Amino acid sequence: MLEQFFYHPDEEVAGLFRPATEGDPATLASAEEESAIEYLAFLLEGECYAVPISEIREIVRVPPLTEIPRSPKNLLGVMKIRGEVLPVYDVKVKLKLAHERAGIAGPDAELEGIPSSSRILIVRDPDGDVGILVDEVREVIRLKPSTIEPLAPGIGGGDYLLGLAHLGSELVILLDVHKALL
Amino acid sequence: MTGSSKGLSDFVAEAAEILDSLNRDLAILDRSVGRRLQPDLLNGIFRSAHSLKGLASMFGEQRIAQLAHGMEDLLDRLRLGRLEMTDEVVDALIESLDTFQVVLAETGRGDRSEQASRRTEAACERLADFVDTAPLEHEDALDLLELDTQVRDVLTEYEEHRLRQNLREGMEVWKVRAVFDLSDFDRGLARLNANLKTIGEVISTLPSADPGDGTGIAFDIIFASRVSQRKLRSTLSNMPASFQPLFQARTSAPSSDQRQGPAPPAAAAELRLAFPKPVPEEPPRPAVPLDADSVRRALTQTVRVDIGRLDSLMDAVGELLLIKANVARLADEARQPGKPSPGKLWGHQLYRESQLLERKLDDLQKGILEVRMVPLGQILDKLAGAVRRIARESEKEVDFTMRGGEVEVDKLIVEALSDPLMHLVRNAVDHGIESVEERQRRGKRPRALVSVSATQRGNQVVIDVSDDGRGLDDERIRQVAVRTGIVGSAQAAQLSSRELHSLIFLPGFSTANRVSELSGRGVGLDVVKTNISRLSGMIDIHSEAGKGATFTITLPETLAIVRALVVSVSGRVYAVPLNAVSEIASITEKDVRTVERREVIALRGKTIPLARLARLFQHPEKPLSRQFLLVVGLAHQRLALAVDDLLGQQDVVVKPLRGRLRHTSGIAGATDLGDRKPVLVLDPGAIIEEVVNPERRPELV
Repeated sequence: MLEQFFYHPDEEVAGLFRPATEGDPATLASAEEESAIEYLAFLLEGECYAVPISEIREIVRVPPLTEIPRSPKNLLGVMKIRGEVLPVYDVKVKLKLAHERAGIAGPDAELEGIPSSSRILIVRDPDGDVGILVDEVREVIRLKPSTIEPLAPGIGGGDYLLGLAHLGSELVILLDVHKALL
Repeated sequence: MTGSSKGLSDFVAEAAEILDSLNRDLAILDRSVGRRLQPDLLNGIFRSAHSLKGLASMFGEQRIAQLAHGMEDLLDRLRLGRLEMTDEVVDALIESLDTFQVVLAETGRGDRSEQASRRTEAACERLADFVDTAPLEHEDALDLLELDTQVRDVLTEYEEHRLRQNLREGMEVWKVRAVFDLSDFDRGLARLNANLKTIGEVISTLPSADPGDGTGIAFDIIFASRVSQRKLRSTLSNMPASFQPLFQARTSAPSSDQRQGPAPPAAAAELRLAFPKPVPEEPPRPAVPLDADSVRRALTQTVRVDIGRLDSLMDAVGELLLIKANVARLADEARQPGKPSPGKLWGHQLYRESQLLERKLDDLQKGILEVRMVPLGQILDKLAGAVRRIARESEKEVDFTMRGGEVEVDKLIVEALSDPLMHLVRNAVDHGIESVEERQRRGKRPRALVSVSATQRGNQVVIDVSDDGRGLDDERIRQVAVRTGIVGSAQAAQLSSRELHSLIFLPGFSTANRVSELSGRGVGLDVVKTNISRLSGMIDIHSEAGKGATFTITLPETLAIVRALVVSVSGRVYAVPLNAVSEIASITEKDVRTVERREVIALRGKTIPLARLARLFQHPEKPLSRQFLLVVGLAHQRLALAVDDLLGQQDVVVKPLRGRLRHTSGIAGATDLGDRKPVLVLDPGAIIEEVVNPERRPELV
């Protein structure tokens, strides 16, 4: 990650922000014995979210989806992947990033309406794997648990946001994807 | 206790196979109580118990091992004629089998319940009760043989052991006496032994106690074998030998045998029933409810496959590989740099390969489906046993016949059919069939008849469960229907017999209090119907009051492939299982009427409810001059489903929706029509329920 090589005025305010990048000497000292967990970072409406990579089965381009009649608001439809039929959800609705789900299934579907960088993350779930539509997939980041900041009251969340992390100047929101599907 | 989970599943699969074979054998045994027993049958059961015991011990499954041991002991006594085969004994054996099923299912899940352990103990005790009445302690199997004491003295320990072993295994023992010339007796004897060894075991060759006329040298060969006397005679036909049986059967007591005349000398071939010591009169232990059937389903996700079927699959794959090679070659040709673009000939070749590919893939698919098929006979056997048991319990006389055991159906369907069929058969005996006195009063045969028959009709399987009992009482059904508010009294008076009969499948009826209200049918038929619908099947009833009733179940042969009608609604494509559609019609808007604001349509003189699929699924509706109707359902509950267009008919593989999607109302699964998008397959039964019984709103996903 190139971020760590740039000048970050925030780093001078020690104690308030703790940069998450591993190579940074300021954090290494305090968090040496911890092992970092790898997360996949992705974008939803310009906000950067992250989910532990162990929960992601694979990442695919957005295929044609079939809508399910009378389904819940956040269910986009089903997709077929190597013979398997999986549901695909739009988490933006729950995260209040959008009022309604993307209109990408059904005969009036406009696949052009979503960014070409959109992808579907296939998430492992004991109740059956599911797909999540995201605007863009970023990269894999490594975070030490102690560098994760709990959410202050007033910063929305409910129980599906697990905390905040900092990637240089960028804010990363850790997501509990299973709760975000409910 | 048990090893890795793979080891556990192997154990469960092996044990389940043994239980299957036990099931078959016990069904035959059940039918042959009171008749002559084939020793092979008892031996087969003994061997199953023995294998099960060994397998269970190896895996540390003490409960199963113990019960299997108990079974072995009981069977031993039966084989040796020390215990008489009665209905009670067979019941005890069947109870043990059911207990095995329950315990095995538990083990497969990794559970271990108190209830199952207690049940095992109860079953062991029940077996032990019979065993105790037929002690074997001081008995030596060899005493059963007619052997001179001289001969016995001369036998080595090993030979004695072999003799006992053969007797235990139910072999017949013969004494073959051969006389040879002094000059070549060694060759002659060798030849004789060689011949005998092909059909049994030579236990001992001894100089004969009876030297004969002194010109040659005589031998007595003690020989154990399973073959018939005739076979032995033909094997010895060119030899200077004679034979006689050594196994002395006991004399029998039941008069039926005496009617057949004096017991034939080669009695070793049959096990006579010994005169039993008095069996304790106490009633069998209270039976733990038999949930073995529902438990069985949890047991195996395995099927036994005929190797021939696997071979044809391999052949199909082989041909596919050839096609692949050809396609690769054609592709390569097209890619050659400098070559002109591929011409028509190339196009033809490619087309030909694609045709072959389609055919071969079809074969492969069919072949794989076939592998999943198992014969219905298994369930039919169990039904036979159940009928006999229930008839005994309710003191009725019932004959049971079954046909079509060889009809094959997808394994999942067979497992799922077990419960509903049991239910129907139990209903028939418990409630449909009258007592012997009542039957005689009505001039019917005292012995009632329950029959189950399965036939294949195209790609459907039809199973009929009939009885010649009371049949349905229309009047009573009318009364109950009115009383429980299912129909108004005016409406009830108008319902035809057939329509009344179809009411008994409604849940309302199952809550009707006493069985006698329905005079003939018990509770829970709505459960049976639901189970059958889940298999994409249908159930119907025909009955004549006083004469009997027949339930007819129609099922698709396989759940996996379904013939479907492809339709479009508001621009969306759906597949409708064709076996649910009874007719197709086309209508215009002016044909639609309303009753109490619900849309209906008149079809061939009958008015049935109409549902617009677009409206039901909350899709934007298109105004169309002409719409198509699919009529689904049968008899009492029919529905006309309006769709925009019919796109064709196709065999599709249905994948049920799993996980979070499994409660999707109105949708049975998804399939592939070749497009990358999955196509949803409708669940006509659920849609009918939703529209025709709107009090029961569907749960949204």
